[in-house]
Amino acid sequence: MAVLNRMDWYDLARSTNWTPTYVTEDELFPPQLSGAFGLPQNAWEKYDEPYKQTYPEYVKVQRDKDAGAYSVKAALERSRIFENADPGWKSVMKAHYGAIARGEYAAASAEARMMRFSKAPGMRNMSTLGCMDEIRHGQMQLYFPHEHVSKDRQMDWAFKAYDTNEWAMIAARHFFDDIMMTRDAISVSIMLTFSFETGFTNMQFLGLAADAAEAGDHTFANLISSIQTDESRHAQIGGPALKILIENGQKAEAQKRVDIAVWGAWKLFSVLTGPIMDYYTPLEHRKQSFKEFMEEWIVAQFERALTDMGLELPWYWDIFLKDIAETHHGMHLGSYYWRPTVWWNPAAGVTPAERDWLEEKYPGWNDTWGQCWDVIIDNVVDGNMALAYPETLPYVCNMCQLPILGTPGKNWNVKDYPLEYKGRLYHFGSEVDRWVFEQEPERYAGHLSIVDRFLAGMIQPMNLEGALAYMNIAPGEMGDDAHNYAWAEVYRALRETRKAG
Amino acid sequence: MALFPLTSNFEGDFVLQLVAVDTENTMDEVAAAAAVHSVGRRVRARPGHILRIRRQGADEFLPRTMKVAESGLKPTETVEVIWQMPHG
Ligand SMILES: [Fe+2]
Ligand SMILES: [Fe+2]
Repeated sequence: MAVLNRMDWYDLARSTNWTPTYVTEDELFPPQLSGAFGLPQNAWEKYDEPYKQTYPEYVKVQRDKDAGAYSVKAALERSRIFENADPGWKSVMKAHYGAIARGEYAAASAEARMMRFSKAPGMRNMSTLGCMDEIRHGQMQLYFPHEHVSKDRQMDWAFKAYDTNEWAMIAARHFFDDIMMTRDAISVSIMLTFSFETGFTNMQFLGLAADAAEAGDHTFANLISSIQTDESRHAQIGGPALKILIENGQKAEAQKRVDIAVWGAWKLFSVLTGPIMDYYTPLEHRKQSFKEFMEEWIVAQFERALTDMGLELPWYWDIFLKDIAETHHGMHLGSYYWRPTVWWNPAAGVTPAERDWLEEKYPGWNDTWGQCWDVIIDNVVDGNMALAYPETLPYVCNMCQLPILGTPGKNWNVKDYPLEYKGRLYHFGSEVDRWVFEQEPERYAGHLSIVDRFLAGMIQPMNLEGALAYMNIAPGEMGDDAHNYAWAEVYRALRETRKAG
Repeated sequence: MALFPLTSNFEGDFVLQLVAVDTENTMDEVAAAAAVHSVGRRVRARPGHILRIRRQGADEFLPRTMKVAESGLKPTETVEVIWQMPHG
């Protein structure tokens, strides 16, 4: 029997809108969940998805992808790649799994919201597949690290991180709650898929896959490239929705959602991906600097995507272009200095050779970030370890929940962006973070940052011990220098040489 | 006497930090409390300099003997802690 070609029936088969008679359209598609933007069902029926895949096709392709990734893992299970990996690389894996795995699982519920509540039939079909994608990503990124839990307790944070009040986790949750867990279907398609997944997920997964292959970790490289093939499909859910909004006079609302989500994604990547690429990944395995990755994967990609779509570059684009050479150096210095409060062991990444690389990629690094590192290095070399750890909290931003920082040393430009709202003084790390708050203050005003919680007496006793307990960091999980300060030997030797000379 | 949180933006450092002071502390004491968390940790001491306090964005320093209670600073407000070469 002849079977019809997919394109002969797909559009008709997935056109599942009907005219409700027992309930109103608003009851079938509550605006809070559907995000109808005042547009009726038939406006959304023009939604034309770029990826037209049927369920049997999806199952067949996904089965092959799973078989590929799982068989690489099985084949390499006894290879001792993990045991022999550079400690900096292990930290990359730990940071990635903890920040990402359960977020993927949560993303399944965001996809499910589009699947049920979008008025666009094409979006409902794409996000049905997207929802299954995210369940797969959650499962794989919990299963793959599990084999290492018995060797290294920090690997347990792949599962545990999302349930804790660890500061970086509060930041990740605040962002994902904002763009995907508490938004209507259409806003999710703009903020999660178009703004976050198109560029940022792509960079995290493809950038890390390249670094993983260089580091010889083929299991991880295969896993995340496999995931990325799903992301690149369901990341396209938002594009056609933006098109419909723009055609129907909703450009300003669409633009605002893009601007909010891109900024939040950038801040999260500045702490998660920036340190990984420019400091943790062993020098000889680095493909490009974080800034170069950002320019290629985010800047160029967004400029093209936004222009094609008829949207503007976010109003803060100049600030963003400047920050991609600066912010992540501070995020790295901060997570290194406050290393007992993270679930991985940060690699300092500041040997003379690494500093030459940093200076080449970021001219002026030695006169700025390097000045702070000089003091840390002296303390480590002199054994003044008490001064190499913190005794207070960094002040964090009431939007991104990350430390408020800037460039130190000779170009010192650190600044607070405060705002008083209903009698409470809020602090923000940038003009853009404050702007996001001002777009919808009531949405964010009730949230307490980790510093607010400390000041409210929610962290007891009010010292590092109390903070670690509050953040659920158990003994054996607390972060410390990835290489146990072995990198300081070269500085010790340099000092001896100088003395001898 | 009451515990009073301020936010320290220390010249040459990279991050804002929480500093606990007392309403009876002078600006010199605030500067010293802020220095504990920056100097010798990520900022080198500058011999011959003293540290002055000003509101973020202000040109004028607050008087060295002024107390926190008299300063009008709000809890958690950000102060800049600036190196100064004393005159003469
Ligand atoms: Fe995913
Ligand atoms: Fe996704």
